Amino acid sequence: MTDAAAAPQSNTATAAPEMLSWDSKSRRVVMLYVPLACFLLILLFPFYWMTVTAFKPNAELYDYATHNPFWITSPTLDHIRHLLFNTSYPHWLWTTMLVSIAATFLSLLSSTLAAYAIQRLRFRGSQYVGLAIYLAYLVPPSILFIPLATMVVRLGLFDTPFALILTYPTFLVPFCTWLLIGYFKSIPYELEECALIDGASRLQILRQITLPLAIPGLISAGIFSFTLSWNEFIYALAFIQSSENKTVPVAILTELVTGDVYQWGALMAGSLLGSLPVAIFYSFFVDYYVSSLTGAVKE
Amino acid sequence: MANLITRRETIAAAGAVAAAATGGAAQAQIATQPATAPNLPIERGATLRMLRPVRFVQPDEDVWRANCQRFAQANGIEVRVDFVGWEDITQQTAVTANTGAGPDIIVGFDAGPHLFAEKIHDLTDVATYLGQKYGGWRPLANAYGRRGDRWISLPFGASGGPAIWRTSTLREAGFESVPDDHAGFLRLCQALKRINKPAGFALGNAVGDGNAFANWLVWSFGGSLTDEQGAVSINSPQTVAALNYLRELYQTFVPGTLAWGDISNNRAYAAGECHLTQNGVSLYFSMLNDPALRHIAEDTQMTPMPKGTLNAVPNAGLTLNAMVFRHSRFPNAAKALLTFLMETEQYDPWLQANIGYWSQPLNAYAASATWTKDPKISVFRDTMNNPFWNGYKGPIVEGSVAATADYVMVQMCAAVASGQATPQAAAAEAERRAQRYFRRR
Repeated sequence: MTDAAAAPQSNTATAAPEMLSWDSKSRRVVMLYVPLACFLLILLFPFYWMTVTAFKPNAELYDYATHNPFWITSPTLDHIRHLLFNTSYPHWLWTTMLVSIAATFLSLLSSTLAAYAIQRLRFRGSQYVGLAIYLAYLVPPSILFIPLATMVVRLGLFDTPFALILTYPTFLVPFCTWLLIGYFKSIPYELEECALIDGASRLQILRQITLPLAIPGLISAGIFSFTLSWNEFIYALAFIQSSENKTVPVAILTELVTGDVYQWGALMAGSLLGSLPVAIFYSFFVDYYVSSLTGAVKE
Repeated sequence: MANLITRRETIAAAGAVAAAATGGAAQAQIATQPATAPNLPIERGATLRMLRPVRFVQPDEDVWRANCQRFAQANGIEVRVDFVGWEDITQQTAVTANTGAGPDIIVGFDAGPHLFAEKIHDLTDVATYLGQKYGGWRPLANAYGRRGDRWISLPFGASGGPAIWRTSTLREAGFESVPDDHAGFLRLCQALKRINKPAGFALGNAVGDGNAFANWLVWSFGGSLTDEQGAVSINSPQTVAALNYLRELYQTFVPGTLAWGDISNNRAYAAGECHLTQNGVSLYFSMLNDPALRHIAEDTQMTPMPKGTLNAVPNAGLTLNAMVFRHSRFPNAAKALLTFLMETEQYDPWLQANIGYWSQPLNAYAASATWTKDPKISVFRDTMNNPFWNGYKGPIVEGSVAATADYVMVQMCAAVASGQATPQAAAAEAERRAQRYFRRR
């Protein structure tokens, strides 16, 4: 594509969208911008509240009558200082990162192979295997944690990060498999048939044709897996008892809630800092994520 | 929160013990009686793991760790202590009990050990020795520590829930203190409402404050969840009278109490929105330690909730209750550690380090200097002397724990306060719910 050809496209992209006859500015405000603003407010308010609380001194936190609850008059870094230097927060962050990345990697590996087999190999009973994997996803962790704990203990993994790395895939693999089954379905089978005619093996097809085309789907599954692992609570609570092996969601509650005294400032600072890696992760891959949801490969 | 105790931490923690023991008031003389300690030869190469609820104040953890480390050094073994959030100790205990792995000792809450009675060691020998030496166990310790004739756990202390109020506000309303009878208490709350400085008590699903208020209300009118034999007795004229009283009392509360959790009254009181509530000593000390809120702490007083129709204060303190699991390979070491922690040299500094948050289960420790340091906290000294427990007044069984965990009493009160149910209907519904749990025995 030449520069000359690209220039008019760029102009078109920056031009105001053409309005249809039924469209109008007021209609757009009511139908689009107001709902969008409400949506943004609902989604972003918790983050705003976390941020404001993390920088508020205690006196402002408790007294809504004298101080505006939505604003800070005397911002302080005390809560963040306390979190970073008086607790093991950096270590918890590291443990959480390690567990999330390892569990995500394991889950993606298993799910890719499972989804490809179910969708493409079409062996006898493949659809029932897919259904069984889906049913496994429906079993809530609150029921599974006791039997899983027994297995974790027998394997000698209790109270180690491996307990989480190996149990998180129990809910990540079904989820990712179903997501990837859908994505593999959107990749034209003709591409693989061409490769088969050229003499490629199944593994070569998977590695050189299907996976490169499925990158948005893999990234989407990866983002979901990472987020679910990062925020997971019940297994992390049940399988880890040593303070140094705890993940952020469990550890901040243990360290910053002492009886009925909640250190709100530090708790919110911990939640805010803890949500940053996920937000950064999303921001890098948001385009892939959107394209995976809309189906990137067209026949 | 490090847990394997290093040499540096040992020195620091030992300093904490010394500071707690000698700082402030001098260590009081704890009277003891002759008693023979149980023979507990510590297993060779023993290593112990203990799990307990997170500290209330930092010295609680420091002194506890230092005490454990002294035991470890004296016996040449390793002791590891981990702390978990208060809300999480039950799940951790359930996992430990059901998998047969994890800590040797768990310090749980209240009647928790009764849920796992078949999976924990008998502690009768240790409890008998300590009881003889330190003037006997207090009523709440007897209720939570014993199952029939045998001791299944060792209570370490309880946190009470007295009335906490602003002195200046009560004076403004024409009262010097909180009255001890229902009519007087209602008049006080109505007076506070009139001067726009209302009272507030948790009616939401609050583990500590919600249960404490609902229990106080029903017990102070002579009602109870179960009778002495353990049959459900909540649907009684006494309960209906209590709920009728609540309908009037609720009109005087600060708005929002139906949704209050354990932390809500702390915030409302510290913000000056509420001037009379029910809480542990944590609220007082959190304000005392905050320069911006110190003036409220200085204007604060704590007294027992009204006795109502009873002769004792209707309050069941939140109790630390230690159990030794059968899966422990070193039961003697575990029992010896618990005994060691309850001896004067360890227990009294720990009690003092907690500045009144935990009250002693053994009578002799009532003489601890803890209770003379700050006259305001003396109200907590006899927390474990009250003959009330969750599930009162029947024997403690799984149903007592489950009914408390399901907020049967709290939700009965909330239904009446909110106008969703009449007192008679709410009591009948509470009876139906409670019977589901007690039928399972």
